[in-house]
Amino acid sequence: MSTPEAGLLVALVGNPNTGKSTLFNALTGLRQRVGNYPGVTVARKSGTCDLGDGQKVELVDLPGLYSLAAASPDEQVVIDALSGNIAGDRRPDAVVLVVDSTNLLRNLFLASQVAELGRPVVIVLNQADVAKEQGLRIDIDLLSRRLGGVPVVLSSAWKGEGILDVRRAIASAVAKQTPMKRVVWPTNIAAALTDVATAAATDTGKQVSEADAQRLLFDTNPSTADRLGWTVTQRDKTLRSARDRVRNSGYNPMAAEPLVHYAHLRTVLEGVVTEGAGKAGRSAAVDRLLLHRFLGPVLFLGIMLGFFGSVFWLAKFPMAWIQSGVDWTKTVVAPPLDAYPMLQSLLADGIIGGVGAFLVFLPQILILFLFIGILEDSGYMARAAFIMDRLFSWCGLNGKSFVPLLSGFACAIPSLLSTRTIEDPKARLATAFVVPFMSCSARFPVYALMCAAFIGPLYGPGWESVVMVGMHCVGLLFAVPTAFVLTRLVLKVKPQPFVLELPRYQMPKPRDVLWRMWQNAAEFVSKAGTVIFAITIIVWALSYFPRDASVAERIKAANPAAAEEVVKAKVQAAYVEQSYMGRFGKAVQPIFDPLGFDWKITVGVLASFPAREVIVSTLGVTYSVGEGAKADSQHLRQAMQNAKWSEGPRAGTPIFSLAAVLALMVFFALCSQCGPTIATLAQETGGWKWAAGSFVYMTALAWIVATLVYQVVIRLS
Amino acid sequence: MNFEAIIVGVIVGFAVAWLARRWIAAARRRKEGGCAGDCGCSTKLNPKK
Repeated sequence: MSTPEAGLLVALVGNPNTGKSTLFNALTGLRQRVGNYPGVTVARKSGTCDLGDGQKVELVDLPGLYSLAAASPDEQVVIDALSGNIAGDRRPDAVVLVVDSTNLLRNLFLASQVAELGRPVVIVLNQADVAKEQGLRIDIDLLSRRLGGVPVVLSSAWKGEGILDVRRAIASAVAKQTPMKRVVWPTNIAAALTDVATAAATDTGKQVSEADAQRLLFDTNPSTADRLGWTVTQRDKTLRSARDRVRNSGYNPMAAEPLVHYAHLRTVLEGVVTEGAGKAGRSAAVDRLLLHRFLGPVLFLGIMLGFFGSVFWLAKFPMAWIQSGVDWTKTVVAPPLDAYPMLQSLLADGIIGGVGAFLVFLPQILILFLFIGILEDSGYMARAAFIMDRLFSWCGLNGKSFVPLLSGFACAIPSLLSTRTIEDPKARLATAFVVPFMSCSARFPVYALMCAAFIGPLYGPGWESVVMVGMHCVGLLFAVPTAFVLTRLVLKVKPQPFVLELPRYQMPKPRDVLWRMWQNAAEFVSKAGTVIFAITIIVWALSYFPRDASVAERIKAANPAAAEEVVKAKVQAAYVEQSYMGRFGKAVQPIFDPLGFDWKITVGVLASFPAREVIVSTLGVTYSVGEGAKADSQHLRQAMQNAKWSEGPRAGTPIFSLAAVLALMVFFALCSQCGPTIATLAQETGGWKWAAGSFVYMTALAWIVATLVYQVVIRLS
Repeated sequence: MNFEAIIVGVIVGFAVAWLARRWIAAARRRKEGGCAGDCGCSTKLNPKK
């Protein structure tokens, strides 16, 4: 990527869900994650934007916010970026304010506040197509004149319309350095602001801008005072007397800023927007059905059942093709290595068996993210928040917890980062603690393997999706009481009302949905080719060595009349049992015996602590090595279906009974088995205390609940 | 030691070394305030002190 020649920095700012990231992608050609709900961007992202005249600038995409009175960490990022308080960054040379064309008054409030910073501004009226559809006509020339001559352009970033105009407008703003017309403060408020700025400058010895003075006077949040180093004792008296002055002029000091700005904006917008005939209220009509008190949850459950059912049904054939490809590779690779049994086992049983068992789930992952993309981009996911709100509010979670918990169903790491949108640090902590309970896509291959191998064949394909939905609910079922205890008893979080702007319904853009599918597929395949590949080799080595020749001789001597294939199978099984992995698994297995896990499952579970999906490849290797490379190649599913206890009171019974299968899935639904998630939790909570607590709590809970499931189901069946 | 054992030993050794190096690099990145998720999804922002 070429770097900006002039070294100019342009910031992209706006209310949440106005299409900033979509515009950023259109201007830079990058593929920053976008979504049809607020709070998708939680950190600063940058790219190079060509202004069309050969000039290049660095464009920074910032999280959405409603006002400059920062309350949450992601909002603070915007304030710091705009004021040049981010290490390694300077103040932006221009600010592009992305505004929702259908709601100019509310969106321009932020623009009016940004104007106070005195930077050149470009106003982009995005989603212009929707405004047109609603019959709104916007006089952009009049608006530009009223705002002091700043460039105002119409765009529909989602459709790629008006992008060239935005580029030209940025070039013009950078060249002309036109600031936006600022609000005129009533005399008393202006005097109070001057008092605050003078006192702060005198006490700290630093230059205090008018924008800083406004934040000091109007915000209860002390971040600006802290940044300036203006201590509580120094500022207390000044701020109290300045706020009294504001109060005496007839304004509530905490409400004065929006009142003055909105009065100014109403004047600015007079005659700018004219309403014609348009299609309005379509979203409202659909919402009446989807957000209905009783029908809403039923439809939500129906959508989820259909969603998982389709994942299984559509993936069936591509999965069979991949499995055939894996089997074929094994038959091609193994025979030429007959003279080298160790190398043959490494390639066929270890690498192909392990990585192949993992790769088989690629179609399901692709279809899973296709549906997630459609549900998110259509705007339905945000509606799901309202359906789940009663549950969330009961357990004391902040309404803003929805976005992190929702994205936790894809991956816990970005969802932990998105807890930064929550203002209250205690609510943020409680949300971060329960995010790992959400059933991430790494759990999906485990559920899918168990459902395809046992639930489907035993109870029919319809039950696969029922169990799948059930497993996704298990995490939620325990997240709710956990959050309740944390928020109400431990952290004592103050309840907050749920305020979420519902995005409008839109047709998902195939390019974005496919791109997201591609990204996740690439990550899945890359994981198979890197981490899973390396772990598979290690698991193979541990389940192959040591190979004492006397084991084979002893078995041959004990079974003189048995057929060669039978002896061979017994030898392979004995080798695996006396391998390092076998010895370790057998030593640890008593801990997992109450859950109905044999030593092979135990090994799989332990190997999965760094990453859940490793169990699939680990079982693939242990069952392959146990069979021997040249034995009739059984799929992992068949091998698991045929596995039986060889000793103890359960000898001769299937290892993967319904009770054990359910216990295993419940264990994976609740256990903390993801190294990067624990590390991110530590990073976001500022230490290892909560991360360690989460690991111990989730792992112990998983063991207890899985034991209960196994013991109850085994008795009932 | 035969040729086959050497090849297998090298492959297993590479796998162990590669994983160890990856985990050490991730730990170092976390220590420096980088992305803890090992996925590059976040640019950690540290306001000026």
